[in-house]
Amino acid sequence: MKRISILLFLGIFIGTLLILTGQAIGASSIVVAVDTPPRTMNPHGSDADANLSIMANFFEGLLQRKAPEGNLFPALAVRYEHPDLLTWKLYLRKGVRFHNGNPFTAKDVKFSFERLSNPDVSEFINTGKSIASIDIVDDYTVVIKTKDPIPWFANNLHQIYMMDKESTDARDPGEVEVKPIGTGAYKLVEWVKGSYVKMVANEDYWEGPPPIKNVELMPITESSTRFAALVSGQAELVSGVPVELYEKVLQNPKLEVITRPARRSIFLALGNKPGSPMEDIRVRKAMYMAINEDEIIEKIMRGHAAPAAQIPDPPTIGYNPEIERLSYNPEMARKLLKEAGYTKGFEITLSGPNDRYVQDEKIAEAVARYLAKVGIKVSLDVKPKSIFFPQVARGELEFYLIGWFDGTFDMGRTYFKLAHTRGEGFGELNGTNYSDPSIDTLLGPTGSIVDREKRKTVLQDLNKMAMVDKIVWIPLHYQQDIYAIQKGKGIKFQPRPDRWMVFKEISK
Amino acid sequence: MVTYITRRLIQGVVVLLAVSFICFIIFRYSGDPVVSLAGRYATFQEREMVRKAFGLDRPFYIQYTRFIANAAQGNFGKSFVSRVPAFGLIMERFPATVELATSAVFIAFVLGVVLGVLVSLKPYALRNRFIMAGSLFNISIPTFLTGILLIMVFAVYLGVLPPFGRGETVTIGFWRTGLLTWSGITHLILPAFTLGMYQLAVLLRLTRAGMREVLTEEYIKTAWSKGLPPRKVIFKHALRNALIPVVTMTGLQFGELIAFSIVTETIFQWPGMGNLLLISIYEADQPVIVTYIMLAALIILSLNIIVDVLYAYLNPKIRYE
Amino acid sequence: MNKRLIKSKLLYNYLCDPSALVGSFILVVFIFATLFAPLIAPQNPYDLKKVSLEHFLKPPLWMKGGEPPFLLGTDDQGRGIFSTILYGCRTSLTVGFGVLIIAGTFGITMGLLAGYYGGHLDSVIMRLADTFFSFSTTLMALLMLGLFKQRSVLVVIIAICIADWVRYARTMRGSVLEVKEEVYIMAAKATGAQDFRLLLRHLLPNAIPPIFVVMAVDLAVVIMLEATLSFLGVGVPLTEPSLGMMISIGKDYIYAGMWWLVVFPGAALVLLVVGINLFADWLREELNPKIQR
Repeated sequence: MKRISILLFLGIFIGTLLILTGQAIGASSIVVAVDTPPRTMNPHGSDADANLSIMANFFEGLLQRKAPEGNLFPALAVRYEHPDLLTWKLYLRKGVRFHNGNPFTAKDVKFSFERLSNPDVSEFINTGKSIASIDIVDDYTVVIKTKDPIPWFANNLHQIYMMDKESTDARDPGEVEVKPIGTGAYKLVEWVKGSYVKMVANEDYWEGPPPIKNVELMPITESSTRFAALVSGQAELVSGVPVELYEKVLQNPKLEVITRPARRSIFLALGNKPGSPMEDIRVRKAMYMAINEDEIIEKIMRGHAAPAAQIPDPPTIGYNPEIERLSYNPEMARKLLKEAGYTKGFEITLSGPNDRYVQDEKIAEAVARYLAKVGIKVSLDVKPKSIFFPQVARGELEFYLIGWFDGTFDMGRTYFKLAHTRGEGFGELNGTNYSDPSIDTLLGPTGSIVDREKRKTVLQDLNKMAMVDKIVWIPLHYQQDIYAIQKGKGIKFQPRPDRWMVFKEISK
Repeated sequence: MVTYITRRLIQGVVVLLAVSFICFIIFRYSGDPVVSLAGRYATFQEREMVRKAFGLDRPFYIQYTRFIANAAQGNFGKSFVSRVPAFGLIMERFPATVELATSAVFIAFVLGVVLGVLVSLKPYALRNRFIMAGSLFNISIPTFLTGILLIMVFAVYLGVLPPFGRGETVTIGFWRTGLLTWSGITHLILPAFTLGMYQLAVLLRLTRAGMREVLTEEYIKTAWSKGLPPRKVIFKHALRNALIPVVTMTGLQFGELIAFSIVTETIFQWPGMGNLLLISIYEADQPVIVTYIMLAALIILSLNIIVDVLYAYLNPKIRYE
Repeated sequence: MNKRLIKSKLLYNYLCDPSALVGSFILVVFIFATLFAPLIAPQNPYDLKKVSLEHFLKPPLWMKGGEPPFLLGTDDQGRGIFSTILYGCRTSLTVGFGVLIIAGTFGITMGLLAGYYGGHLDSVIMRLADTFFSFSTTLMALLMLGLFKQRSVLVVIIAICIADWVRYARTMRGSVLEVKEEVYIMAAKATGAQDFRLLLRHLLPNAIPPIFVVMAVDLAVVIMLEATLSFLGVGVPLTEPSLGMMISIGKDYIYAGMWWLVVFPGAALVLLVVGINLFADWLREELNPKIQR
């Protein structure tokens, strides 16, 4: 009798223990499916957001952005000063160690920034080249001087990751691309290219170990397969649910949808070549009014977009809440075209990518149709981004669809790259060769304005003039990010405005 | 025969050179990796600097010569996307694709030939008409649709097979295999069937056509009248000759499958070479593309040589000088 | 044998064979449909002015939510499925026959020359074949796109032809190698027939039967290849979808339950290919002297 009761007791005890540990293990691991595979474990090797998102778990910048608003917080730097237009003084955090045990000090900061200019290992050439000098004051203080004033310099620091000088120098460059050594909340366990990335919590992380201990990240590029992974239970959290399957996920009792307005705005770039119809502001207005954006949002984006009247989004400096969309009005559009002398319409080619933005080619198709209905003959030219983007970079197009968001939350850089007349140091992504000297003159000096309030006013005015008076671009909408999670697992996830998946912010 | 094979090998090298040359001409006209390499915010000057650093400012024939010189020493350049040696990148994924292609060909060949023989014996029986109709149907559906439908039925609705990936794999030396774990094998089923279904239909019809021709030949009639057991007549005599075009086709297909199973790998997120090729094409990752195409050419060339030799062995009427 | 007798025998066999009749009937229907598409279709889905998002994703007429005149429902751009199938057949068949004719002619010629003359010419041609075969059609399609800057039916045809001619060349060569040794060829040679005449009148007709099988299979392969290129984003222009492009567009909606976007174009494609194959099967058997009836 006694023996049996002892055995019973032991059995229950062990059973409970097993169940509890099982729970603990279950609770502390997560399987995530994303739509883009990582390209490299070298944090400077790719400036694509999809890669930076994964790097954010292994590495850290001097500053970081946190969910849900993406505001800047100290990370490897506890504070910074900006004594003059060109100088940035950074005070580093003490007691931080890299995954290999090396302490994080100023020499690592200098090394990391200098590495940015090397095209063999970095895609952050512009950031690297914009730095004039880096001085190590002491082990935990660094002074960076830029060649020209860069008002948004600090806003960018969350995506410039710090690497360990000693091990990066010592290792083979090939190994650096595959095995990350950073200061981040997670360490790499295994990366099987094309299959998965397994990471484990860094127990010595300076902010405290992250709640989820094991993360398995699986890239699935084909959207229907990603959906299948979610529904079949193979993935617990999925980023990038296709808009046409939104209803299906909503109806599924086992799944929960989480949406968030994205920062990316989708718009049409329109050239203004002298002699072309688009030079006339009435034509531009007509094209704007001919497009039924509400129907695009309702039917093509399935409601998952918000109409945009400008390119920057509300949190960005330069966003002007006074700017309103021109309403859909095809009769007025036809009238304006007639006034401008184009009763018979004209021909134009609309280019765009078909593998970059949500429903990009379908939006382009719809735009082509709306314009056709007011008499403009549109020839549709949608192709893969590897052919499309170089054309934008070379300024070869007359009219195209594109999306944009700037990680710095500042409109300045956007306008310099997109709106300024093409020339040395400007307009590199001005794909239509749009040129307006009045905008250039207003834009130029903003590079030296550092005071936030002043920047805000000047940029807002510029924005208003560009969108209302000149219609530099025809804005369409802001995308929406859609995620889905398995219910009942206690997953607490807050999407970020930059769509990054930073696992220390997720708990279960 | 030895001289023949040697000659083919030498010609093979010429083909490899031609293939890579054409690649470099292609790169001149499509896709520009510099825009991506220099980063989104690079200035015109910075882009040119990056272009120079990668040697992309030189004319294509100079780029080609440099590439060949390096390739002869085993250096096929570094991927623009992941900055690791292109050759290693491709070889990493080689086992996955080979296992998938082999399974698909195995399914296609075995089922195709067996069903083909069955059908050719009694072409008008109802069951056989069904099989022929089925094979017709199979040839008419694009692979990507087959894959998506299979996933929908077996992974989502029935929930019995996994929808993507390779499952648990075991690494032996440098070969990562999925054949040694139960999870690996279940993950292989849907993609292998998707890839193999089409080939199955083709081989089935070829076998049937070949068998029907051969079964009416004089020597078969002789064999029948000699009273040989039917099995011997069918398999030893008829099938052997009917199989010639089937074997040729299988050999060609195998090479094609290894080189170009892009669609199936994309749908099932299979980490193979086809998947890599697609990404590389989209990202204008030139070193990987050239190396890949050369490797594909090598595989196809080798298989062709093997098939041609086999062809001569099976059909004594063919002679090679 | 009297020519008239041969012709009537062919006709007789044709009329007696059910699969041939069914096959050609299907083909005739399709060709009729594609020729008269503008008259039959309720709307022209390729005309941007006529299509409107208002009618998007409507189910077929007999289901709840169906809207006339869209018999088979609409796709996600508001195009009627029935109309798009009719016009899409045109595009698919144009691509299919375009490749067949161009790649076929080129490949057959190459194969004939390689098989007959052998030696160096054979090696050169075969190695050329190997070279072009190594280029994945996807890569070719992307190259063509980069070259021409715009997607079009012509670009797709050229892209597919580059690797496709190889299968004709190889099959033809193999067939020629076999036929070359046949008695009647040797006889013709012995009587002093010139090469050119020999090739055209004797070799070609006897070596060509396997090509018919290849052609039938190839037509389907090409149409499918075009569908795959559309799936990958490098196919025919978006505003002029082919059957394959329709299936590619529709696959995203399978999980959402909108089956008509895939089932109807898919059925049309299958039917078309079946028709082609039935007819070609019969033709091959007719022309093959070896099979006894």
